[in-house]
Amino acid sequence: MRRKILVLLLCISMAAAMFAGCSPQGGSQTPTPTTPPSGGSTQTSEDKVTLKWALWDYESTPYWGALIEEYKKVKPNVTIEYTDLGSTDYMTVLAAELSGSGSEFDVVTIKDVPGYATLVQKNTLEPLDSYIKAAGIDLSQYGGITDQVTVDGKLYELPFRSDFWVIFYNKDIFDRAGVEYPTNDMTFEEYDALARRVTDTTFGSEVYGAHYHTWRSAVQLFGILDGKHSILDSDYSFFEPYYEMVLNQMRDGVAMSYTDVSTEGLHYSAAFANGNVAMLNMGSWFIATLISSLERGDYDPELCGNWGIVKYPHAEGVEPGSTLGTITGLSVTAVSKNKQEAFEFVKWVSGPEGAAVMARTGNFPALSTEEVKSIIASLDGFPKDEQSKEALEVSNLYLEVPYAPNVSEINAILDTYHKMIMSGEISIKDGIAAMNEEVAKLK
Amino acid sequence: MAAGKPDKSELDKGRKKRAFKKNLVAYSFIAPNFIGFAVFTLVPITFAFLLAFLEWDGNNPVKFVGLENFKALVKDKFFIASLKNTIIYSIGTVPLTLVSSLGLALILNREIKGRAFFRTLGFFPYVASLVAVTSVWTMFFHSSKGPVNAVLYYVFRVPKENLPNWFTGSLVLLMLILFSVWRFMGYYMVMFLAGLQTIPRELYEAGTIDGANAWQRFRFITLPGLRPTTFLVSVMLTINCFKIYDIAVMLAGGSTNTLSVSSMVLVYYIYQNAFNFWKLGYSSAVAMVLFVLVLAVTLIQFKGQSKYANE
Repeated sequence: MRRKILVLLLCISMAAAMFAGCSPQGGSQTPTPTTPPSGGSTQTSEDKVTLKWALWDYESTPYWGALIEEYKKVKPNVTIEYTDLGSTDYMTVLAAELSGSGSEFDVVTIKDVPGYATLVQKNTLEPLDSYIKAAGIDLSQYGGITDQVTVDGKLYELPFRSDFWVIFYNKDIFDRAGVEYPTNDMTFEEYDALARRVTDTTFGSEVYGAHYHTWRSAVQLFGILDGKHSILDSDYSFFEPYYEMVLNQMRDGVAMSYTDVSTEGLHYSAAFANGNVAMLNMGSWFIATLISSLERGDYDPELCGNWGIVKYPHAEGVEPGSTLGTITGLSVTAVSKNKQEAFEFVKWVSGPEGAAVMARTGNFPALSTEEVKSIIASLDGFPKDEQSKEALEVSNLYLEVPYAPNVSEINAILDTYHKMIMSGEISIKDGIAAMNEEVAKLK
Repeated sequence: MAAGKPDKSELDKGRKKRAFKKNLVAYSFIAPNFIGFAVFTLVPITFAFLLAFLEWDGNNPVKFVGLENFKALVKDKFFIASLKNTIIYSIGTVPLTLVSSLGLALILNREIKGRAFFRTLGFFPYVASLVAVTSVWTMFFHSSKGPVNAVLYYVFRVPKENLPNWFTGSLVLLMLILFSVWRFMGYYMVMFLAGLQTIPRELYEAGTIDGANAWQRFRFITLPGLRPTTFLVSVMLTINCFKIYDIAVMLAGGSTNTLSVSSMVLVYYIYQNAFNFWKLGYSSAVAMVLFVLVLAVTLIQFKGQSKYANE
């Protein structure tokens, strides 16, 4: 009998030991009571305040340090202490940090909307509306982006960086093929035809007319540019023509196949830097990377030094300059003890002064003014042609992922079937049908 | 009765005291390990059991939902896919690894030249970095540039459009199984080698004298002698197989490190629900299913083991 019990216990403990890694950290789930925002800070401006700020990749991202330095000049009594949570899994790590009441962060950087949705639902962020009202900030200066992340009438972040997708192209490839450059006013048919014209499928010296990174945004989201569709729709049949276009290109050797790009883990920057990709659809963050990598000599200027950008292609009848975008924002945590001071910092970073710092480092601030655009267009290394400068004009910016309570799950479903469609495991029609079915099941 | 002689009850007391002291010493040695186990394993596991019946996102108040999480599991396509994939993977991996590691051990137990070298070679996949070996595998089975498909194309004349994509669809599980067998057989080989040393040589001698051929010696001496090892290996293998996560993500995750329906495994789904969707309750419910599964398989194996032992 005793042996039996022992055996049973042994079995249980062996089986149970496997959970050691995946059980959630326990902890109190009640957030510490917060002071009402209208009460304001009791500290005078002379008091020394330390704000803790969560961000990622401090060393390799030039603007974090620049923002902290500049802010020190404006508010000498405020010390900003940053914590680098790393960029892979940043939002997951942050969500874990803010769970329970153990967090010390006052200001947190919001990397993407699904992560933002998680933090809002966990009640870890402070609604900023009363602060925004008190500070008299005009949200219309953000071009309507803030509306796409407003939750039940409340806004929990202010964007300070906003990126939009453009087409990067390699002028040398077009010159060699004797094909005219892409333009700022291309329909998808024209884009597809152009990609096919510069393609060379000769074995060993392939030139790809287009390149698509493995993200689903790179293919699916051509479909949201008409302003009528979004990934929150429960019917995704509008993805279909774009899947067809891209898969046909991959079949014909116009673009590298998804499986190759995926299994190799080929980064889009490496693909473009190799000098055999004519056009690459990518976010404007790649501008700063291209400029600095060429300058440092990480990329060979012979291969990709002669580049330019044009606006995203558009569907027939849609205004050119419509594109998709992502925002990076700052939020104040619900547990912060220095909410007013924290908001002051958020306001400054997302305001005109922060925007100037962002533009100087080659990044696009959310507060986009003519001045900001000209700062970026006059950066050393930015293409000198008029078209590239014009490409910075965005007429309509649609967020890749707008806010919805279950947007993380929608994202995961779309990712899954995107992967299956692109690798040919499932037909376009079946994949889209599965997306529709699974998203409809979500509460 | 002489005065000064302690009576029986006092003697007992002394003995008990000494025994208690002895226990205390023993406990104090166990304590550091046990406290660590309790804090980092026992409490979280108990908590995970409770979580399966709750709805919790890690910050907001906990809500009791009873069996709702389990009811939702039945209708969840991704859960069913991950359960199916995990089971297929385990069914494929356990016997194959068992057979190949036993075979390897039998060969390398003989007096052959360079035995130590080959033993190291067999063990190497296990110690090599997972990141490095998975990259090698993905290159090896690369759909357009990999040597495997090149052989299929040039030697077997498989047309280009029919060359398989090894890391998608139904092939991906085969890849996972083959990779796991290759990676782990060296490790279990070492255990079998140790097991082989415990079988007395006289048995083989006696067998040979009685006219047993090689197969009979293997069937009636080696196999029964290895039974405890085989049992341990199969239990460990099964548990490890059900826990598969890193190999799947590294081989089938591609550049986005996400698994699709064809490669989704239970532990990945637990992680995704817990830390991407923050549905801690639901994810614990999935973990419970995994737990019950492993417990059941282990119990069956224990049963089988004791049956054989009494033969």
